[in-house]
Amino acid sequence: MPQFLLLLYDTPAAVAQFKKMSPEEMQQAIEKYRAWTKKPFTVDSKRLGEDPGKVMRSHNGKPRATDGPYSETKEVLGGFYLIEAASYDDAVALTTDHPHLEHGGTIEIRKLYGQ
Amino acid sequence: MIATADTAPLIEHLFRHQAGRITARLVRLLGPANFALAEEAVQEALVRALQAWPYEGTPDNPGGWLFRVAHNIAIDAVRRDRTFAAKADAVVAELTRSASQFSDPDAGELKDDELRMIFMCCHPALARDASVALSLKTVGGFSVREIARAFLADERAIAQRLVRAKRQIRDEELTLEMPHRSDVGERLDAVLDVIYFMFNEGYWTQSGEALIRQDLCFEALRLGRLVASSPLATPRTHALVALMALQAARLPARVDELGELVLLDNQDRARWDDRLIALGFDHFDRSMAGDDVSEYHVQAAIAATHTRATDAASADWPTILSLYDQLLLKNPSPVVALNRTVAIAKVHGPAAALTALAPLERDRHLRDYHLLLAVRGQLLLELGRPTQAGDAFRAALECECSEPERRFLERKLESCSERSITNHQSSNPQSSAP
Repeated sequence: MPQFLLLLYDTPAAVAQFKKMSPEEMQQAIEKYRAWTKKPFTVDSKRLGEDPGKVMRSHNGKPRATDGPYSETKEVLGGFYLIEAASYDDAVALTTDHPHLEHGGTIEIRKLYGQ
Repeated sequence: MIATADTAPLIEHLFRHQAGRITARLVRLLGPANFALAEEAVQEALVRALQAWPYEGTPDNPGGWLFRVAHNIAIDAVRRDRTFAAKADAVVAELTRSASQFSDPDAGELKDDELRMIFMCCHPALARDASVALSLKTVGGFSVREIARAFLADERAIAQRLVRAKRQIRDEELTLEMPHRSDVGERLDAVLDVIYFMFNEGYWTQSGEALIRQDLCFEALRLGRLVASSPLATPRTHALVALMALQAARLPARVDELGELVLLDNQDRARWDDRLIALGFDHFDRSMAGDDVSEYHVQAAIAATHTRATDAASADWPTILSLYDQLLLKNPSPVVALNRTVAIAKVHGPAAALTALAPLERDRHLRDYHLLLAVRGQLLLELGRPTQAGDAFRAALECECSEPERRFLERKLESCSERSITNHQSSNPQSSAP
């Protein structure tokens, strides 16, 4: 079965919404996400660290690291899920009820190469 | 610290209750003047959980995680905040010490923090409305929107009420110190009054959303139990917990499968919550120590008498009536008087009850009260006067009432017109108390 990477972005709107949620609503949202991680087609899920990360480039032939592209005004990659699906259509169908979408986040779906 | 194989759902209301506890702790360490800072740190910790746990699963000790993270956020905030100036180091040291201590949410010190917070939120200097909102927000972990929904109020109005209350706490320098021996009675009464009001809003007011109102009842019960388990507890405190537990036990039976309202007489008593009943009787027993007979005592005794009966018909109505007589002396409110007429109907018949109802109908506050008209309609129906009963139910329908109540009154009205055709004898009398 082909595997697909779901890249979950936290939009500024989503983060703003999170901040306004009540404790009860947050707990319910977490339970929804957790239920999703336990779906039979979910292989793995990981959260990225909150730091901006590092970007490496070759500069005048020498590798150089700079701080990552973190910005308050942009969508930030928050984490990923790895799922199994027959096709892109199937992957899209499976992701339709992902709780991240309810909170204004966006999800990018990418198929792993060679599957 | 993240568990790999977490399968169990989080404890119900964990976030809400934990938010209240951590806020209480941080307000104690930061001082009531820094209420907002404490609340922001807690909210930020919850947001971080919301961002991390969906991927990684919940930590082994979710409550401890939130406690520690909120402390760390507060420490960073204190270091950045210049207003702490020379005090910053001492406050940070206190926060650091507190952060390392968390073990069990039921630990004594945390309960103590919550208790102090309740007493501050319910300080007699604050208006009751403000105390209720503040208690729900800070100790209960309710959001402004949830409080607004529970009271069918405007969100901005609730937010302003909270801002004013916090300003008053700062201006009048209210502290988290527990009351002194000399004024502990007055302070405790104020706390019980707020809890009782919170419970009644959830239990009796039919406006607002059902689910959130039920949460209000259980939050009031939780706060009551917290006070009852403290050294400050009095027999009166136990009476309040008893009455809340015994009434809350009926919540599952108050609506049927179709969401229709079920009056006390017709409730399926098998659906009453046995655990809450046991809890209620336990506190009822403890309320008997001493000579104090408060309004809570009488209300608890009425609830207990209902609970002891195997069905509505076998309830000890003469006892209930004499309890209502007592209650009316302590609290001569028209609503108590109205409930008393229902007991009169059971003991002396509908005609006597109708006579007792007459002076209430002249009361300006009750004249357009749908429950009074509903009781009148029911009594007339029992007296075999369906046409007049129909008039009463029709008038009740013109008053402000909730959707389930409206449907209930409409069903009553229908049964009136059926009876005026066939002129059958009356059915079993019914109580007005759901």
